[in-house]
Amino acid sequence: MKLALQLIEALSVFLVIFYLYCRSPAFRPLKPDWPRPRGKIRLYLVFSGIAILGNYLGVPVVGGQAIVNARAVGSTLAGLLGGPALGMLVGATAGLHRVTAMSGAAAFPGAVSTTLEGLLGGLVHVALKRRPERLMTPRVAFATTLVGEILHMVIVRYLTQAPPEQAIAIVKAIAGPMVIANPIGAALFMAVLLERQREQDRVAATSSARALKVADRTLRLLVRGIGRDTAGELAAIIKEETGVGAVGVTDTERVLGWAGMGSDHHLPGNPIASPYTRQSIAENAVVFADGVRQAYDCTVSPSCQLSSMVIAPLQVDGSVVGTVQLFEPRGRRFLNMNKSLGEGLGAVLSSQLLIARYQEQKSLLVMSELKLAQAQVNPHFLFNALNTIIAILRRDGDRARDLLIHLSNFFRKNLKRSSDVSTLREELEHVGAYLEIEKARFEGRIAVETDVDPELLSLEMPAFTLQPLVENAFKHGLSDMLGEGRATIRAFRKDGAALIEVEDNGGAWKEQPREKAGLGMQIVDKRVKNLFGEAFGLTVTCVPQELTRVTVCLPGKGAAA
Amino acid sequence: MRALIVDDELHAREELESLLLETGAFSIAGRCGNAVEAIQAIRKQRPDVVFLDIQMPAISGFELLSMLDDDELPAIVFVTAHDAFALRAFEERALDYLLKPVSRERLAKTVERLRKLPGAEARPGYPRAEIRRIPCLAARAIKLVDVPEVEFVRSSEAGVYVVTAKAELFTELTLKVLEERAGLVRCHKQFLVNADQVDEISIDEGLAVIRTRSGKDVPVSRRHLPAVKARLDL
Repeated sequence: MKLALQLIEALSVFLVIFYLYCRSPAFRPLKPDWPRPRGKIRLYLVFSGIAILGNYLGVPVVGGQAIVNARAVGSTLAGLLGGPALGMLVGATAGLHRVTAMSGAAAFPGAVSTTLEGLLGGLVHVALKRRPERLMTPRVAFATTLVGEILHMVIVRYLTQAPPEQAIAIVKAIAGPMVIANPIGAALFMAVLLERQREQDRVAATSSARALKVADRTLRLLVRGIGRDTAGELAAIIKEETGVGAVGVTDTERVLGWAGMGSDHHLPGNPIASPYTRQSIAENAVVFADGVRQAYDCTVSPSCQLSSMVIAPLQVDGSVVGTVQLFEPRGRRFLNMNKSLGEGLGAVLSSQLLIARYQEQKSLLVMSELKLAQAQVNPHFLFNALNTIIAILRRDGDRARDLLIHLSNFFRKNLKRSSDVSTLREELEHVGAYLEIEKARFEGRIAVETDVDPELLSLEMPAFTLQPLVENAFKHGLSDMLGEGRATIRAFRKDGAALIEVEDNGGAWKEQPREKAGLGMQIVDKRVKNLFGEAFGLTVTCVPQELTRVTVCLPGKGAAA
Repeated sequence: MRALIVDDELHAREELESLLLETGAFSIAGRCGNAVEAIQAIRKQRPDVVFLDIQMPAISGFELLSMLDDDELPAIVFVTAHDAFALRAFEERALDYLLKPVSRERLAKTVERLRKLPGAEARPGYPRAEIRRIPCLAARAIKLVDVPEVEFVRSSEAGVYVVTAKAELFTELTLKVLEERAGLVRCHKQFLVNADQVDEISIDEGLAVIRTRSGKDVPVSRRHLPAVKARLDL
């Protein structure tokens, strides 16, 4: 019993050492399914160390012929975590050490059995490999070691190169303590390991939960890009979510926003003073000062409390546009977690900035598309209009004069700003001028009808909603027809919405190359949706060779005359 | 010179007619509002020059050119509102092109060019585009038949007929034009067949008959049999 206690004492020393190792920065999670050779080597070194230590911390018995030892804990655990090969290797290493460094009759059998115990652990590993949650339990560690130690005793009894009485004496001396203490030890080791692993998972989980929460709150903000107006709010959000002492946001030259300690002297608008920030910008790299080996030294105010920091660059398309910085004051440890959080935040915010940039460019694109569409009102139309008017001028000066006035009205209305909202009345006037000219051009071939609910005349919509649709009906439907063309423009209410329809009897929508002809329509659709929401916009119905109908759906409310 | 005016816009035709008459160099052989009318008019009137609009419904001015036989082709002057077409017009080796609105001075130059023109025999042939759609008359409307749908084409005293699985339609185009530019195979003096629509070919005592996918028979003459066989990889 005394021996058992002594062995447990020895095991406790080891547990302390192991515990310290687990807390140290050298610790990496030890996983049974560790795929890489480097991980295996690490497992081998750690557990061989434990097993060899087991030799030294053992208690010699029977005149030094045997040692009550905890070697088996190392090899069994190695087998459980790393499989049969690793278990046997650790067992063999520790066994070799036992044989070469210490002597005694039980040395060789001990070495063999330690190796076999490693193998046993490995076999359990293989059996439970697919369910690591059952493999990595103190219970399994206990049971495996228990079986292993019993095996150990049998081997010592029969392999010891000594008279049977001595072998039996050895087994009697060591069996009790080892069979009782070592399984308990192995179970405790496993418990420490599991606890440490869980803790690390928890840290990772909290850290990513925080980063996600920050990301969630900043996305709306960063859609506007990063500037003085958004940076302050951004810093405040990050400070609130991370709980660090202070948060700063800079562009490449100035402080844009600050939250927390030091906000009296880290003022938005100040030029960047810290060499760390400049380094982060210049190298496009995360810069970390832990406050011990390397300290943040505020260059602005000597009374600044901040001493540790992590600075992460914000980048868009590979170039640095600013930094986000987390600070802790003197006397508060800069948690490792916050270091990786800082790095993660830099990455998350950078990708949000990229989204902002993308959306900005997209809206610029829409603007330019629109400008293009306007500018292209189109030379073909203008020359044909002029040609028609010149022809009419020969016979009917008054009509030619009217047409010229329509033409100038049309171009004047084209000059209206594209961001304006106009009423259905204005849209119809714009289209009316266009129609007069096209009717003259296609004299005798095309008839246009208008059927508009007068109550809807004050209905509002983005400027240039109607004209592109009518122009499209002419360009791709009516003007390409051999027979007579008919177009109808309608505006009416239906189910609480206001509908505007432009219909032609060409039925050519499907036959035209989509991307080209569709562009004008797409712009109209986008602009209606921008103004009124996704529920509204444009639909096209086409019966080939019969009709094409484009319907614009607008909110019907507030459009009463 | 007898001029034919082809433009889908009424006022554009009127304006050009006035301008042409003002020069004193032309008499008007006819006015057409689309390409199909134009093919008929060119055959019937044999004008010396055609003033041809490019953007027209269904069949463009360029397509129209490819539908005419070389020997029935008059001098062509393209008339267009848009610069972008002008370059292409020269590739088509048009005699000249005019931009709408047309000025008197510019038209005078065209007249000079037309006067210097050698006789029709000496005129270089135009390289022309492939025909993908064949304009046909169905009842009173004009129907464009896609070439892949054509099973065969036959000519009789009444004219040239395009035969598809469903219909038989009259066309103004000649067998020669369709053979050269629509990729149809001559199998008989009076028949062209679409190689993709051939279902089987039976040869009996040197007399061959093609059966099309929809089960119609097309005769193959002794003279054309080797060429048909070669084309069908037999």
